[in-house]
Amino acid sequence: MTSPATITAPPTPAVEVTGLSRHFGPVRALQDVSLSVPAGSLTAVMGENGAGKSTLMKILAGLDSPTDGTVRVDGDDVRRFDPATLLSRHRVALVPQELALAQDRTVAENIMLGVEPGSRSFPNRRRMDEQAAALLTRLGVRVDPRRSVNQLDAATQQLVVVARSLARQARLVILDEPTSILSPAESERLFEVIAALRADGVTMLYVSHRMPEVFALSQHIHVLRDGRHVAHWPTADVTPDQVVAAMVGRELAGEFSRHEPPAPTASGTPRLRLRGVCGTGYTGIDLDLAPGEVVGVAGLPDSGRVELLRGIFGADPVDGGELTLDGEPFVARSPRDAIDAQVAYLPGERRQQGILPTMSVADNINALTLHRRQRFGLLRRRALRGDAQSRSGDLRVKTSTVTQGITQLSGGNQQKALLARWLSIEPRLMLLDEPTRGVDVGAKAEIYRLFRTLAGDGVTILVSSSDLPELLTVSDRIAVMAAGRVVGVIPAAEATEEKVMALATGANTIKEKA
Amino acid sequence: MAQMTAQAAPPPVAPAPRTPSPLQRFLHAREASTFLALVVLFALGTLLAPGFLGTNNFLTVGQQIAQIGIMAIGVTFVIINAEIDLSVGSIYGLGAVVTGLLMTSDIAWPLAALGGVAAGALAGLINGMMTVGFGIPSFIVTLGTLSVYRGVTLLLSGGAPISLSGNDPNVAEFNLLGQGKLFGLLPMQLVIFALVAVLGAIVLSRSRYGFNTYAVGGSAEAARLCGIDTGRVKIAAFTLSGTLAGLAGVLGLSFLSYVQGVTGTGMELVAISAVIIGGAALFGGSGTMLGTVIGVAFIGILQNILNLRGISSFWQTVATGAVIILAVAADTWLRKRSGRR
Repeated sequence: MTSPATITAPPTPAVEVTGLSRHFGPVRALQDVSLSVPAGSLTAVMGENGAGKSTLMKILAGLDSPTDGTVRVDGDDVRRFDPATLLSRHRVALVPQELALAQDRTVAENIMLGVEPGSRSFPNRRRMDEQAAALLTRLGVRVDPRRSVNQLDAATQQLVVVARSLARQARLVILDEPTSILSPAESERLFEVIAALRADGVTMLYVSHRMPEVFALSQHIHVLRDGRHVAHWPTADVTPDQVVAAMVGRELAGEFSRHEPPAPTASGTPRLRLRGVCGTGYTGIDLDLAPGEVVGVAGLPDSGRVELLRGIFGADPVDGGELTLDGEPFVARSPRDAIDAQVAYLPGERRQQGILPTMSVADNINALTLHRRQRFGLLRRRALRGDAQSRSGDLRVKTSTVTQGITQLSGGNQQKALLARWLSIEPRLMLLDEPTRGVDVGAKAEIYRLFRTLAGDGVTILVSSSDLPELLTVSDRIAVMAAGRVVGVIPAAEATEEKVMALATGANTIKEKA
Repeated sequence: MAQMTAQAAPPPVAPAPRTPSPLQRFLHAREASTFLALVVLFALGTLLAPGFLGTNNFLTVGQQIAQIGIMAIGVTFVIINAEIDLSVGSIYGLGAVVTGLLMTSDIAWPLAALGGVAAGALAGLINGMMTVGFGIPSFIVTLGTLSVYRGVTLLLSGGAPISLSGNDPNVAEFNLLGQGKLFGLLPMQLVIFALVAVLGAIVLSRSRYGFNTYAVGGSAEAARLCGIDTGRVKIAAFTLSGTLAGLAGVLGLSFLSYVQGVTGTGMELVAISAVIIGGAALFGGSGTMLGTVIGVAFIGILQNILNLRGISSFWQTVATGAVIILAVAADTWLRKRSGRR
C-alpha cells in the first residue's frame, strides 16, 4: 500500500476539506475529517452506514453546516453553507439517493428549473426544451424533454437529476449511492453518463457500497469509519479486501462464502407451494420451497418479483392459483392473515413501508408482539422495553438506547431492527425484498449469517434482490423472473451472474423501455 | 502506512450508553417548549394582570377551558392519525341541540345527555367511514360535514333558541353537570375534563390502540404491513373526536341552559390550535395528551390575561391566531437547532 505522501497531488484540488467536524449534541457524526479531491477526478468515499458519509456529502452540498473546520472549493473558502450558495457560487451539485423531481412537470422543466431561458415568470418553452435536449444529448441520454417525469423509470429520472446539475454548470457533482435503485443494465447507462461527465472535466465524488463499480470508476478511494477519515489510496494501489478491512476495522471471517445446500428432504411437504399463482404484475407462478431452504428471486425491477412477494404476504390481492403453507391451503387476504400464519415480509422500501418513522426503536421492534405484553388492556412498557433490548442485542443493532427514535439509526441498523421485528413472530416463511439495500458491508455480512442460522433452524426464506452477487451468496436455488413469469430455476452450484442475467433479460427484449 | 496507524486508534464514537438526567429528558420532551412558553405566559400574567394570581381566577380559567379541552382531546387522536376534523364545532352544536330537544320533551336527563353524546359519536363515525371508505382527505370530508352537521343542527332547532327552565327538577339536576362544583369548589366541567384527559392519556400512551394510532399516523403503509387495520384505527379516532365534541356540547348546554342552532361555530379552530400549540405535527405520528392539555391551558390563560387587562375579545382572536404561528415557528426552530427530527 502506498502512503499518501508519495501521491503527487495536483496543484489545486477541486475540493479541500480541512479538520471538518459535525456534532449533533453528543453524537459526533464527523470528527476532524480532512481530505482533498483532485480536479477532474472521480473520488470514491466509502464507509459503513453511520460512518459519516452522508453528513459529509450534505455539508459539501450545503444541506448542513459543519460544527468546525473548513471547506474550500477551487481554492475558494465556503462561508455560507446553503444549497443555493454552493450551487451558484461554488458550482457543487448533489444527486441525492432519494430523487427529488417535480413529478407532474416535464423533463425539460425539471432540468431547467430556476435557470429557465427567457423571463423567470414566463420562460421560453421552446428554448427550454432545446437547451434541455442539448444537455441530455451531451450525456448520451435519449429521452424526450417534453415527457412528464412521472412516466420515466427511476434510472432515467436519476439521469435527469444529473442533467439538472449540468444545467447549472456544476463543476463538482456528488453522486450519493446512485446505483442503489438501479438494475445492472440501468447502472451501465449511468456509467456511460459518468464517462461523459469526466470527458467534460467535471469532478465527481462518488458514494457507494458496491466494490466492483467503485474499482471500475474511481481514481481515489477514501474511507470513513465512525466519523473519522481512516484511510486513503489511489484506486490502482489497493485491493477490495483492504478497503473492506478499513471500512469495518476488522477482518470479516470467511465473509461471503457459499454454503452447502441442505440435503433435499425427500418427499417432504414443501413449506410453500405455489401453483399457477397470478396477480397484478405476475402470472402462472409454480414454485416449491422446502423447509430451511433459501430461494432467491432474480429479475429486473419490473419482472414482477416485488409484486409476487407482496401477493403471497397479502399486501396486495392474489387473483388466482393455489398456495399451500406446510400442506394447508394458504390465502392471506391481508397482512394480518399472513402474520397469524407466521409469515414475515420485509418490504424493499424501508423508509416508506418498513419503519414506523415517528416511533422508537423499541416500538418498531415490538410492533407485532404487543398482545403478549398486555395486562388489563394496558401495555407493559417495561416488559416491552426488555423484549426490545434482548431482540436488538441478538441482532447487534447499534443503538444507544432502545427508546431512541428509529430514524436516528443508520440504514443498516434500521434494517436489523426490522428483522428483529419479524423474528419476534418466529416465522416459518420470510419474504424479503432487497434485504440489504443501503446496508453497509459489515451489517450485510451479519444479515447473511443470520439467514444461514435461520435456515438451519428450518425457516424458509424467499429473497428478492437486484443485487446478483447477494443472491448467488445466500441462495440454495435462484428463481429468475421476467415479464411476470418464472423463466428458470437454477441450483446455486450451477448459477453464475451471466446465466441469471441472460434469463432475466432474454424474455424482456420486446418491451424495452425508451 | 500512515492511514493504518490511524485505524488502530480506538473508535472515537460509541461512548458508553448515557442515561440522560431527568432534566435533560424533560428538555428533550416534545412538550418542553410549550411548557416553557406557558411558564413565561404565567409570569407575564402575574406581572401585568391584576387579579391573575389567585385560586378563584384559576378555577374560572379551568371552567372556561374545559369544553374546548374535551374537544381538543378527541382532535388529538385524529391529528396523530395524520387526519383532521374540522367538524367538531358543528358537532358541539348538534350534541347540545339534541340534548336540549330531549330535555324539553321531558326525557330523563341522563338519557337526554347520552342522546347528545351519541349524536356526536354517530357524526364522528360518519366522518371516519367517509374518509376511509371513499379514500378522500379528511380535510374535505369534515369541511363538508362542518356544513352538513351545522345545517342538521339548524333544522333540528328550527332556528329558534332552546331554553331550559330551571324550575324543572330534571333540568336542575342536569345543570349540575355544567354549573355544579365538586366539594363546593372544583367546577364539575373541569373535573370531567381532567377525567377525560387522564383516560385519553392512558389510552394514547399505554394501550395497543394508542400504539396503533402513532403507527398509522407515522406511516400508514408500514402500519398496514404490520397487520394493523389502518381503516379501523382512523374510524375509531373520528368517532372518539365526535363523541367528545358531543359531550362538550352537552356540557355547554348544561352550563348556559340555553342553545341555538349556531352554538359552537368556530370552536373547531380553537381546539385544533390547542393541539398544534401542544406540539402535535399535522403530518401525523406525533403529539401527546400532556402537550394538548398544556396547549389548551395556554390558550385559556392567554385569553384570561387579556380579559383581566380589559382588552377587547376581538384582539383576543387576533392574539390566539398569532400565538399558533409563533408556537409552531419556535418549536421548528428549536428542533432544527438541537438536531432532533
